[in-house]
Amino acid sequence: MHGPIAETIQFIDLNFASIVFLIIVGFVGGLVSGFIGSGGAFVLTPAMMSMGVPGTVAVASNMCHKFPKALVGSIKRYRYGQVDIKLGLIMGVFAEIGVQVGIMVQKNILDRWGEAGSNLYVSVCFVSVLVIVGSFVLRDALKLRKAGGDGWVKPRLAARLQQIELWPMMTFKRANLRISVWFILPVALATGMLAATIAVGGFIGVPGLMYIIGATSIIASATELVVAFVMGLGGTLIWAFYGMVDIRLTLLILGGSLFGVQLGAIGTTYVKDYMIKYVMATIMLIVAVSRFLAIPRYLNQLEVTSFTAGSVRLMSQMSFYIMCFALLTGAFIILFNMFKARSEENALIMARAEA
Amino acid sequence: MERMLGEIKMIGQGKSWLMEKTMHGKVTRRTVLQRTEPSDMLQHCSLAKRSCILLVTANSQLEPPVMDYTVSVADRMNCKVLATYVHTQPLFWQGGTQQDLFTAAIEQNGAAFKEKAAARGVEFEFVEESGRISQVISRLCRIVKRVEFVLLDQGIKIEEAASASPVPVFNIVCTDARTGRMIPHHQAKKILKGEKPMKVTSRKSHFWQTILFGAMTAVFYAAVFSNADFIMKYFTKGGLFALLPVATVFAFSYAHGSFTSNFWSALGIEGSKGATLKQTRTVEKRSEEKRPDTRPRLRADA
Repeated sequence: MHGPIAETIQFIDLNFASIVFLIIVGFVGGLVSGFIGSGGAFVLTPAMMSMGVPGTVAVASNMCHKFPKALVGSIKRYRYGQVDIKLGLIMGVFAEIGVQVGIMVQKNILDRWGEAGSNLYVSVCFVSVLVIVGSFVLRDALKLRKAGGDGWVKPRLAARLQQIELWPMMTFKRANLRISVWFILPVALATGMLAATIAVGGFIGVPGLMYIIGATSIIASATELVVAFVMGLGGTLIWAFYGMVDIRLTLLILGGSLFGVQLGAIGTTYVKDYMIKYVMATIMLIVAVSRFLAIPRYLNQLEVTSFTAGSVRLMSQMSFYIMCFALLTGAFIILFNMFKARSEENALIMARAEA
Repeated sequence: MERMLGEIKMIGQGKSWLMEKTMHGKVTRRTVLQRTEPSDMLQHCSLAKRSCILLVTANSQLEPPVMDYTVSVADRMNCKVLATYVHTQPLFWQGGTQQDLFTAAIEQNGAAFKEKAAARGVEFEFVEESGRISQVISRLCRIVKRVEFVLLDQGIKIEEAASASPVPVFNIVCTDARTGRMIPHHQAKKILKGEKPMKVTSRKSHFWQTILFGAMTAVFYAAVFSNADFIMKYFTKGGLFALLPVATVFAFSYAHGSFTSNFWSALGIEGSKGATLKQTRTVEKRSEEKRPDTRPRLRADA
């Protein structure tokens, strides 16, 4: 093993139930990732930890499964003409810098306030980002749904930013926009920082691409997969350098998630533009509730509050189950709308053929 | 008109009908022969009332740059577009599925073309034809009276097309923007990045690919899990050994990714046919915005 960290790690023994569990969680996570660009991985780390996998190995193995999944998803969506590779790669490179900044921030917090402080910081980030961004995205999705969901209007902020001619300007043909790199930079950095903090950069990346840069939600979610690939590859190389990746766990999750990511990508071709926002906002808000319930435990550890041990345990358990519920709800909405739209399209084709 | 024989299948505007035509029509097996009066036929064929551009291809699909160019010309000239997909070897037996695949590809490509034309407000129809190119052009120019000129897709010899055409014939070539040299047909497909040409593959081929990549994936998994101890020993060594898990997941993502993709396709779960149309609609919307007219104008100041 390489370095002092890896020497202390115990890799778990796998049984049939844990194998099946990982494949199913991988499938559902992949489905959500293929559809909204990211967001499927946040359940995997706690899920693996609940199986007894050490935290660092869970994060490393999760990261190692994320980038091939993003690669397969982005190839699939590229074939549907939804990916702006140039935008994705530029964002990915800056996001990688954001990841490093995020890790440094985390490290400083860990040194100053210990593990409980670090966990509290992560949970507060989770709740605040998810509530603010999630409610904004949900409001927009509901507005679009009310209007029929057919038209796409460029957000006012994005339209204004695109008018500012600030060197260096870049044109993105697939996303059909021209914008200064200076406006891409903060979105990418924030995406990377969030990825380093809560493991799902897409909760900032996709809304950032939609509302600040001005891409449609289909292009934004597909391009986010390229960003996830670049970030995931960089992160995996670092974790693998320290010998933290459990390839067995990675391959089992990958076994399910590649089925899911393909299906999620297919789903984007059937639904209307607002549906991606709708699914994303739903997941974000439910996860926010889940993380909110995890906060009392860390506050107790920091001796800020004094909840009873029983109620803290109950809230922690509820937090995990609500997180699973968020993922399942997202997967259900995707599958339901996809198969509904698909059967409607097939019925239309049949009717045309008969006419 | 009285001598018309054979058939043309008009697929424009979401409905199809049959028409009789001159010369030796190559009857496809989907044909239902029927004789219609010329006046009825002209009533049905809206293209007969207005001048139009006839675009001819010998492929089952037109490349996006060709579609864009044709729509742009038609928009400027206020003409309609009639795209003709010609099956040049209708009697060549290739296992029986060739005609179905050809027709399915045309329907997909025609729908995409129609969407592009609609975005620019250009009327559009497309027909599936069979026979020699020169005969098809001659036939269509007689039926659709007001063909202004014929545009040929790459891959058709202009001499052959012009030999029987009563109207001017032009061919479209794709050129390199930098060098100005002509790009061969097979390379022209790569011009529009990010959008692969529509391909119609059968579920049968997906099934066999599912089996192939599924077996490959199974071998990979069996190899890893039967040697788990050995693999874990080296894969967690760190340092340069970090490349081992990364290379492994890349190999897995190729085999397993191809397997899962073909798996869903074999089950008939594929992307919506309107997927590419949604994208073109967004792109076309922008081109609809009118450029400001900066030409100098005469002014009569009192």
